[in-house]
Amino acid sequence: MTHIPRIGIGGPVGSGKSMLIERLVPVLAEIGYSISIISNDVISKEDADRIRNNLSTKKGLLPENMVIGLATGGCPHTAVREDPSMNLAIIEEMEDNHPELDLIIIESGGDNITTTFSPILADYFIYIIDVAGGDKYPRKGGLGITNCDLLVINKIDLAELVGANLEIMRTDAEKLRKEKPFEFINCKTDQGIKKIAEHIIHDLLLDSQPKSIHLEKNKI
Amino acid sequence: MININSVLGNIFKETSLRNENFEEIKISRVDLEKRILRKKTDSGIDIGINLDSGVKLQHGDVIGNDEVKIVIKQMPEQVISVKLKENDQNIAILLGHIIGNRHRPIELKEKSIVFPIQEDSELEIFQRLFKEIIDHIELKIEKAIFLPHTSADVHEH
Repeated sequence: MTHIPRIGIGGPVGSGKSMLIERLVPVLAEIGYSISIISNDVISKEDADRIRNNLSTKKGLLPENMVIGLATGGCPHTAVREDPSMNLAIIEEMEDNHPELDLIIIESGGDNITTTFSPILADYFIYIIDVAGGDKYPRKGGLGITNCDLLVINKIDLAELVGANLEIMRTDAEKLRKEKPFEFINCKTDQGIKKIAEHIIHDLLLDSQPKSIHLEKNKI
Repeated sequence: MININSVLGNIFKETSLRNENFEEIKISRVDLEKRILRKKTDSGIDIGINLDSGVKLQHGDVIGNDEVKIVIKQMPEQVISVKLKENDQNIAILLGHIIGNRHRPIELKEKSIVFPIQEDSELEIFQRLFKEIIDHIELKIEKAIFLPHTSADVHEH
């Protein structure tokens, strides 16, 4: 069975997980990468419906059935760490039926700073926080912030309004994460989104071409 | 970038694989769990690891191709080591129960149980959690290569 590279995106409620997906997918799709999205939530499927509406229905970037909503019931981290079986079942089906996919994005339900993804579920883990939570956030650490492959700090346009100092966040993130990367972004304006795509292409997709382009070339 | 899909062997299991000229990559325990990983060796060679199904990297594994061989070196990390002062089954069960409740992976050494921490301040947290058995155990923080017991692996259903 084909293993399709998988990104897990975790972060607190309202930090911008769904928004990051909505901004990131167009950048990756433009290059030619074929993507599917699984959006976990505790009870509703609102995020999945919104992502589907924005990326599939309105923009036509991926088929509507490539955005899947998963209501997990219990604590969000259990469905992506302790017992990822519900997500794995969907992925298995995807890998069987859609080997043409280049990437699967799994969004966790909003959770706390100890969220991580089981390495069985996700090959690459993005943790997203936002400046509105205060500039103390990176300094406070927690598994998500320290262990993720890429820390994303969103809503930098709000820094001044909430009195958050981005330089403090930068210094603390550097100290805590050592050589691991972090990026400042503003999903509303797409600021920094291309950088996130570059990290994914380099670190997870290992600079491989989209399968559609690769297949096309081989035909010729 | 050198593409790696499989492991050639392990220097701790096959002494014939030991070679001073091999490159080294230092990888954290958390990253060793990964299937896809992009890293640089000590001398800066770019390595793209995308392991075949069922293959998992371990401390001492040798990867590479005809031109270059690389040894995986797991990075040491902060751990708490707990030793029972006497051979008491109930204390041992309680100890396992408390550590398990915090979802920590464990490593069993000769007479101690070891688990990873992120900050030294966690020693205080665990001293509090162990309060009922604290007189029967010895706790200390160490920096060690933590090799988790495989029973703590999350399994696919």
